[in-house]
Order: sequence, then C-alpha cells, then structure tokens
Amino acid sequence: MPAADVSFSVPTSLEEALAELAEEDAIALGGGTSVGLLLKNGLIEPQKIVWLAKVPDLRGVAVDDDGGLRIGAAVTLRELAGSSPVRTHAPALADAAGTVGNPRVRAVATLGGALAHADPRQDVPPVLLALDAEVRIAAPSGERIVPLAEFYTAFMETALAEGELVTQVVVPAADNRRTHYVRFTPGSEDDYPTVGVAISIARGADGRISRAVLALGGVGPTPLLVPQARELVGRSAPDPGEISAVAAAAEAAARPSDDQRGSARYKKAMARVWTERALHACLGEG
Amino acid sequence: MKLAFELNGAPVETEAEPDALLVDVIRGLGLTGTKEGCGVGVCGLCTVLVDDLPVSSCLYLAACARGSQVWTAEGLAREEPELVQAFVEHEGMQCGICTPGQVMAAAALVRGCPGASEAEIRDHQAGNLCRCTGYQTIVESVRACLASR
Amino acid sequence: MSRLDAWAKASGEARYVADMVLPGMLHVALVRSAVQHGRVRRVDSEQARAVEGVVGVFTADDVNRNTYGRSVRDIPILAGEKVRFVGERVAVVVAESRRAAEAAAALVEVEYDDLPAVTSAEEAIAQGAPLVHDAPWEYAGAAISQEDGHNLQSRVTEGSLTEVEAALGGAEHVVDRTYSTSSGHQGYLEPQACVASVEDGRVRLWVTNKSPYRLRTQLADCLGLDPASIEIEPVLLGGDFGGKGSPMDAPLCVELSRLVGRPVKLVLRYVEDLTATNPRHPARIHVRVGCDREGRLTGMALRALLNGGAYGGFKPLADVNLHGIEDCAMAYRVPALFVESTIAYTNTVPRGHMRSPGAPQAIFAVESALDELAAEAGLDPVDLRRRNLPRTGEPSSHGTTWLEARGLETLEAAVKHARTEQPEVPPGWRHGEGVAVYVRGLPGPPVTSVRLVPAPEGRVRVEVPIPETGTGSHTMVRNRLAAELGIDPEQVEVVQVSTEELPIDPGVGGSRVTVGMSEALGRAAEAWRRGGGDEPVAVELRPGDSAASAPVVCYCAQVAQVAVDPVTGQVKVLEVLSSVDVGDIINPAAHQMQIDGGAVMGYGFACLEDLFEEDGQFWAANLGEFKIPSTNDLPRLRTVLVEGGQGVTSANVKPVGELANVPTAAAIANAVAAATGCRIRDLPITSEKVFWAIEEESAR
Ligand SMILES: Cc1cc2nc3c(=O)[nH]c(=O)nc-3n(C[C@H](O)[C@H](O)[C@H](O)COP(=O)(O)OP(=O)(O)OC[C@H]3O[C@@H](n4cnc5c(N)ncnc54)[C@H](O)[C@@H]3O)c2cc1C
Repeated sequence: MPAADVSFSVPTSLEEALAELAEEDAIALGGGTSVGLLLKNGLIEPQKIVWLAKVPDLRGVAVDDDGGLRIGAAVTLRELAGSSPVRTHAPALADAAGTVGNPRVRAVATLGGALAHADPRQDVPPVLLALDAEVRIAAPSGERIVPLAEFYTAFMETALAEGELVTQVVVPAADNRRTHYVRFTPGSEDDYPTVGVAISIARGADGRISRAVLALGGVGPTPLLVPQARELVGRSAPDPGEISAVAAAAEAAARPSDDQRGSARYKKAMARVWTERALHACLGEG
Repeated sequence: MKLAFELNGAPVETEAEPDALLVDVIRGLGLTGTKEGCGVGVCGLCTVLVDDLPVSSCLYLAACARGSQVWTAEGLAREEPELVQAFVEHEGMQCGICTPGQVMAAAALVRGCPGASEAEIRDHQAGNLCRCTGYQTIVESVRACLASR
Repeated sequence: MSRLDAWAKASGEARYVADMVLPGMLHVALVRSAVQHGRVRRVDSEQARAVEGVVGVFTADDVNRNTYGRSVRDIPILAGEKVRFVGERVAVVVAESRRAAEAAAALVEVEYDDLPAVTSAEEAIAQGAPLVHDAPWEYAGAAISQEDGHNLQSRVTEGSLTEVEAALGGAEHVVDRTYSTSSGHQGYLEPQACVASVEDGRVRLWVTNKSPYRLRTQLADCLGLDPASIEIEPVLLGGDFGGKGSPMDAPLCVELSRLVGRPVKLVLRYVEDLTATNPRHPARIHVRVGCDREGRLTGMALRALLNGGAYGGFKPLADVNLHGIEDCAMAYRVPALFVESTIAYTNTVPRGHMRSPGAPQAIFAVESALDELAAEAGLDPVDLRRRNLPRTGEPSSHGTTWLEARGLETLEAAVKHARTEQPEVPPGWRHGEGVAVYVRGLPGPPVTSVRLVPAPEGRVRVEVPIPETGTGSHTMVRNRLAAELGIDPEQVEVVQVSTEELPIDPGVGGSRVTVGMSEALGRAAEAWRRGGGDEPVAVELRPGDSAASAPVVCYCAQVAQVAVDPVTGQVKVLEVLSSVDVGDIINPAAHQMQIDGGAVMGYGFACLEDLFEEDGQFWAANLGEFKIPSTNDLPRLRTVLVEGGQGVTSANVKPVGELANVPTAAAIANAVAAATGCRIRDLPITSEKVFWAIEEESAR
C-alpha cells in the first residue's frame, strides 16, 4: 500500500460532502467494499476520502403515497434487504440486495456504491433497471435525474462526472407489478452470478400487460436492457412462443466475454434459458 | 491522524494513517485474534463487529470506526463466553485460523437474527470459509450459540 | 473431552507465526517476476530505497547462491540471472513496517530479456522445447539423468508394459481414455509466514512449516550452517493440507536477518500463496484397462503426465514423484499393471504436495475408467468392483498380501446405506448415483521422538516434535498417553518443543502422525510405568528401529448422489456418503472431521476449484475467484464406519487423514454420467462442461 498523503473526512451535510468532493483527487466512500480493495492494491491513490455515511440526506427509505420508493444512496444493502417498504413495494430488490456477497459486505456496502461501482456482474443494478429506477445525481452546480438505463456508459463507467454524487434512487410505483430476479450461480452459490436476469411485468386494470422490462447482468460490459420484452405489452397470457421469442432476444442481446464463470457461448445460452424461466415465474405460471 | 473508538468495551486512542485498515489497527494494538486471510473480504478470518454489525476488517477503513464500538473474539470471550464455549463444546474448529472469525460471525447472527433457521444459519456462515472441518461442527456450534440466548 | 487448544483458538488467544513480534523486528516484502522466463537485465531499486523506513533492498547478489529443496535442491533463494515463472522471487525489501516494505517493493523496477517459455507439461517434453533448466540432473538430489530426456523432474515406472499389452490383447473389453485435472491449491487459510532471527551465529525461526527437523537439515544444507546452530521454534499452523512442508521463504529470511542484523518477518499476501508457493499439480492421465467376460480385470496401463512447474524442490520423496500415482490400482487385483508417472519442468509456479499427493488425480482417472469399462461390459459398476476387490489373503495388484482386505465390506456398506435414504431430487432434474473406491497403505515404520517429564501435582508433560496443524494431533497425544497410563487426560500436558529439545522427527504428513505417535507413546508409557514416573523418559524411534509396519491398509468407498438440470447442465451434489474401514478410534470428533473435511475438499476438487491457469498465469488469483466450498455449497455428508478392522500399534489405529478427499471426484463424475449419459473427463465438472456434453449427446 503506497504511503500517500491522504486525508479522511466525514461530512455531515450534502453541501459539505459536495464541497469536499470538488477538491482535487477526492473520492466518495460508501461502504468501502470496493474502495478498500482498490486502495490496498494501490489501484487508486486519492488525496481525500469522503465518507458519506453521516450525511442525513443520503440516508433512509421514503415511500410516496402511490408506493413509489426514494432510497438514499448511503442506505446499506443490509438495510435495503430488511426494509419493510422495500419488501412491500419492490420485493425483488430486497431479495437481490440480500444475496450480494456475504453478510459483511451487505452490512456496509451502500446502494450508491453498488450503482457507482459499475461492475456488470453485480446483482442490484439489473433489478433496478427492471423497476425503471431513476438516479438522482447532485453536483455543487445543482441536481439532475438520470434514468438508470442511461447511467451505465461502458465497462466500469457511469454517467457520473467528477465530483458528482448519487444521492437517491427513485423506484416509481406501478400497479400490479411483479418483479423477478434470478442469479444463476452454477458453481459456488457464493459467487457473482454467471448470468443475472431481472424481469418486471406490470398489468393494467384489464389484466393485460402494460409494461414489461427485462434486464441482464453479467453478460455485457454493462447491465443490459432487452427491449424486445415490450412485445409482451398488450397480452394477458403470452403464449410459449412469445416467451421464447423474448428469451431468444435476450440471447441475442447478450455480449458476454469468456471468464471463470463460463464461456461467452454458455452465458448466452444461459441468458436464454433463465429469461424463459424467469418470464414463466413472473407470469405466474411456475 | 488520531483515532478514538471503543475496543472490546474499553476506549482506545491510537495513531493511524487515514487509509489504514481496521485489521491492521486492531492487530497493531496487540489483539491478534483477528487474522488476515484472503485479504479480499471473502474468507471471513478478519470478521469483527462494528456497532454490532459484522465487517471484513481487511477492507474496512479504520477511520470509519471512529467513535464506534468494535468487538473482537478476545472481547467476546470475556463478555459473552458462552458463544466461544459453544465452539469449544461442539469442536467447531481444527486448525483454528478461521475460528475467531467464525465466532464473530456467529455473534453477529445472534444479534441480528437470533431466530435464524437452519438455512439462514448456513447462508450467514457461508461468508466464513473453513478448509479443515467440512463445516458440520461449525454449523452445530452456531446453532448452540443461538440456543444459548 | 474436547480439543486441548479449543478455547485458545476460539477466543483469539492462540498465536500463529503472523502474530509474532520480536523486539527490533523488521518487515519483508517480495518483488516477484512479471515474466514466465527471462534473463534479469537490471534491477533498479533506487526509488524503493528512498521510501521512508526502508532498511535495504536485496537481490541474488546479496544472498547465498546455493539452491535448496526437500529432495532435489533446485530452488534459488532469489532468482539470479534467470527467472523461471511469473511470481518467482527476484528481489526483496526489508523495512521498518510492512506498509513501507510493500510500498517500496512496488517501486523496484526489474527489466527482463524474455526467453521462450513452456507452460504445459506436454509442451515441455516435446522435441525441441525451450529448457527450463539447462542441466537439471546436476542439482543435488536430482531424480533424473541426462538420458531420461529434457525438462524432466521425475519419471517413475512400475510393472511391465509388454505384459499389459498382452493382457489387454486378450481382454474381452477394453477402454482407452484420457482424463485431466486442473491447477488447484491446498487452500489452507493461513498465509505462509516466517520470522527469522540471526544473532551471534545462532538462527532462530518461527515458520509455517510442519516438518521442523527436516527444515533444520534443509537450511543447514543450503546455507552451509551447522544444524546445531539452527533452532526451529514451536508454532501453531493454520492449515496445511500438504502446502506447508517445504522451507518456502525460510532460507531467504535467515539470509535477510543475517544481512540486516535484526529479526525479520515475512507474511505472504494470499494472492502470493495462490500463485507463487507450491500448489497442486495439474495432470493428464491416460488409462487403458481391460476385463474378461466375467468382468475380472486383466490388465491396466496408466500413464500420467504432470506439470511440476519451475522447481521440483517442493516435493519430499527421493523420486520427486507423487506416490498416489504409483498406487493408483492398489485397491484391486490387476494381474498385469503398468504405471508411468512423468513430472515435467515448466515455466509455471512450482508444484508441491497436497493431501494424498497424486491420488486425487489418479483415482479420478482410474475410478472413472472402471465405470466406463463396466458400461462397455454391460456390468453394474458396483458389481465390477465387487469382482475385483481382493479378499483377505489374496495379493493386491502391487503384489502385497495385506493383513486384511476389507474393500468388499467397505463397498457393500457404502452402497447399502446410500440406498436406504436417498436425497430428494428437484423436479425436472435428473438423478444419478456414482461409486468410487480408494485404498491407502500405511506409511513406513514410525520415526519420531517424544519425552515424558514429571510435572507438579502428579501431572505428566509430554514433549512432542510436531506442530499442531489442526488435525488434533496434540489432543490425540494427550488422549493416547492418558489411556496408556490409565490417568485422566486432564493430567497430561502436551507441548511442542523446539528442535533443540528432541532428536528426530520427519514432520506431519503421509498419514503418519497418529501411527508414529501411538507407537512412541506406547513405548514411553511402558518405560514410565517401569520407572515409577519420577524420572523423565525419552523415546526415540529411528529408521530401522521398528520392524517394517504390518501390511495394513485402509479402504474408503464413497457414493455420491447428484442431481443435474438437463437444461443448464447445473450439477448439485446432493450427498456424499463415505464408508471407511477403521480400527479403533482415539478421538471420534477429530476422526469424523477428517472424513467430513476430506469429503468437502474432494467435492471442491470435483466441482469448483480451478486456478484458471493460462500460459503460466492464474486468472483465479484470489479466494473470490478460486472458489472453495462454503456452507452454502455443502452436499449432505454421511459416514459409515466399518468397524472391527485390524490397525497397527497398541492403539489399533488406521490412518484417516488422506482418505475421504480422494475418491469423491470420481464418485461425482460417475454419478453425473449415470444421470446424463455424459462422461466428464476433465475436472472440475462445471455446469458448462455438462451442458455442452448433453448438447453433443442429443445432437447425435
Ligand atoms: C467479498 C465481496 C463479494 C461481493 N459479491 C458481490 C455479489 O455477489 N454481487 C454483487 O452485486 N456485488 C458483489 N460485490 C461487490 C459489491 O456489491 C460492491 O463492492 C459494493 O456494492 C460497493 O458498495 P460500497 O458502498 O461498499 O462502495 P464503495 O467501495 O464505498 O464505493 C464504490 C465506488 O462507488 C463510489 N461511490 C460510493 N458511493 C457513491 C455515491 N453515493 N455517489 C457516487 N459514487 C459513489 C466510490 O467512489 C467508488 O468509486 C462483492 C464485494 C465483495 C468485497
């Protein structure tokens, strides 16, 4: 570990945090589960570490009247997994947060860190994509809201500019929405998924599908959306052929690389299988 | 920088680099029950409690523990000996290098989920690797920890 | 009574090498080669020396140029002109803190001239391959000669190929298959560590090494020291599994302490353990085996080719080979047997021993091939084995007639119990059952020493030469001695003493501790009783002192139950049932953990563990990527003890430490084949391999 001159600060307001992060070579610290590793291995050498845990504006889960969720960026994955509003309104999100890594990771890792880390194998991002989540981003100059679908720009890269912070994640409400997430870990269960499939299906009052979103993790440089899921909109009980077509689209959309968790070919095949299975589960057939 | 926190119930104040890891600070204070194994947050040898939550002290910046209550196996052995005793009685160990971490993980479960089911015990303890035992006696030990409450 | 060190371990009081602090102690960090094979052109340490707290930066020019090793002495303390693998020690920093040492090590710049490299055993032994060592036969203790070929660490053959050819020529059914296993690691969780202090010519060492008396000799031999000037201190080991038997970094640390005049400490980072110590040999094993119409084996030829990495010095046997390969067919009557085991030098990390060295690889091949032969012959795989297990009084394939041969009983017990209570199979998944058998012989005649010393209040202090590696050996010593003397175990105090205190011991390993210690303790207790317990009693068992041990073997049969998702290829190992041939058991809990821990390790080898070696580099270089089993991954474990066996010594024991980890991979592979009709011959058995095998099968 290089003995760099680094300082550590613990801001207690958002303004303070943003001001600190505007300084040269400052880095935000959530739970540090990835920053800790990078620091140890000399892969980053910040001048300043800005710990977000004590910023009240970044804490807590708020529920809108309609069931929409606003989740602070410094909420930990453990808190997310145990939050009753999240369990009620977005159970798949709570479940996904509850499977990340191990209890020690979840105890400290934050939602903001989980998004900004931008490793395409992560569990939470595909679920939030399927839930049409938006990310509130703050900078000293002001605030903007970015749909999560536009947040990931390239491998391990996001739309965050230098000095910007994720402050909140907004999960819009939807009537009659079912969300399902599978993490396929064919080796050790305690591993990043070979493929993650998140799917969410909302239905109108008439029982017809009003929105269908499919997101994949682990099979591309970023989490991927599969737009063909839209083909299910308007159906009330999609037939197996229609489901297979979406699964085939998932396979086609997947752009994985070969690694320890499988070859690109295998991961593509698994994107199809698990999309099909997740769709059946989400449509309430299995 | 100066770093003050409570370690095993007693206040400590020490000098630490701002990017020092908690495991190094604790061990530097002579408490070597907290081990470093994999160094990447996976094996669980370095598990300690910070404000009752389990953390990998090999990734956790010591500065984040400022003002917190930190517990290690040494402190637990004094304050909650029944948890350590559960591992002794059920032989939840062989070489012992992972054992303080296993005990601390069990302590976290006792705090966070005292009614844990069999599946929850396994899932929780999955964060703490052991190469010797085949885990049967460790799971029994954790069960006994929960039962001790 | 529980383990004697249980409280100390669980409460964090127990001290391991990494926990040691000596006054004035400095810290060491290594600079490792970034290239597979190259000439070191320049080492620039200027920036490193400028780091605050750095005391010195050293290269091969500063240290003893002799090479060291457990048998063949081919390992340099620091690479000199040449580096031979990615991760080899090139230079070293000594500093006031570990942080400073590591920061400085990162600043040492090494320039190399790349040399052509060989990274697989196949490449290494091919005609015209680049040479890893110019003249490896010249190293002291070399097991090969120039005529044997190039890039060879070892070649061992047994039996006559001509006879096997004749036997296979006349066989009714023959299978001819090749199996392979990946690069794995012992996976002990305590990184290797060493604290060395050289003061006034006296060397003291605390090191993660399980064979202190041999280490002393190895160090003396390499550094040209008088063994009497070296003292290896008692330590507790945080897991071994074969990985902690070599001098590793001890010669270097001794040199460094001498150079800087202060004690030094080196603790590896786990990535170094995984990629730069002495992991398991990957193997390619070719098996031809045949049987007659009744399913009686007629002949078998097994050829193993193993990647030994850049140095052979991490292997302890004189032939620099792995005895598990030679013993591959010991469980059966095989009238004509030929075995050849070749270990090649390559430009990859040097390989060492791991729990029952060579056997997991070889038994995976043999026990898979037997199932394939059974299929070919239209026989039930259990039946084929029944027909070929020797009965008591019959010689085994290696010609020995054992005191008793309980393979059949062990197998029958396994199958019976496995079938009484089958695990549940998820809907839509296919179920398969697989069987495999392993037999392990006893180590040679016991060699060790102990001393009993009267202690206050009628207690007895036993001084032992071996470190506690985690198996419970010290607890076993306590229980054995208490039983021998007819006293309460509480009255016995067990201490490991330094190499100054006792004369001899070969170290922990080779399943010899319980057997050797039981023998020594039996004799010591006898002398103690005779002397009335007032005087210390020392017992020393030297080579040749005891008669060759009785030809006792110990069988283990395992049955694996798997479920396979035919759509994804995912394999779930539902259960591993181990049936174990035992004598008397000194400590049931510790004995059971050897079986459980073994089966789980066997499962990891079968399904998970792979360092992902590619061109001499490892892609799975941390425990997040090199997955060893966790509580979430566990199959259900069941054990059947086949009691009543005849063991050795007055304790009537059979070894158990290197048993249950061996047959598991074949049992699982056989179960997967039974479930899917697809045979995976390459470990680990990943879901992906099963998936493509099923695809291929259904395309046919
Ligand atoms: C042992 C282990 C196992 C793991 N297993 C899994 C797994 O199975 N599945 C999975 O999905 N993930 C896994 N992870 C990765 C884990 O999800 C991430 O490390 C974690 O979510 C990052 O969160 P953090 O709060 O700790 O981030 P930090 O390490 O604090 O930060 C990560 C990055 O985000 C930035 N950042 C943090 N907060 C903000 C913010 N509010 N605004 C802008 N930028 C911010 C930081 O500057 C840094 O660049 C694992 C990690 C470990 C160590």
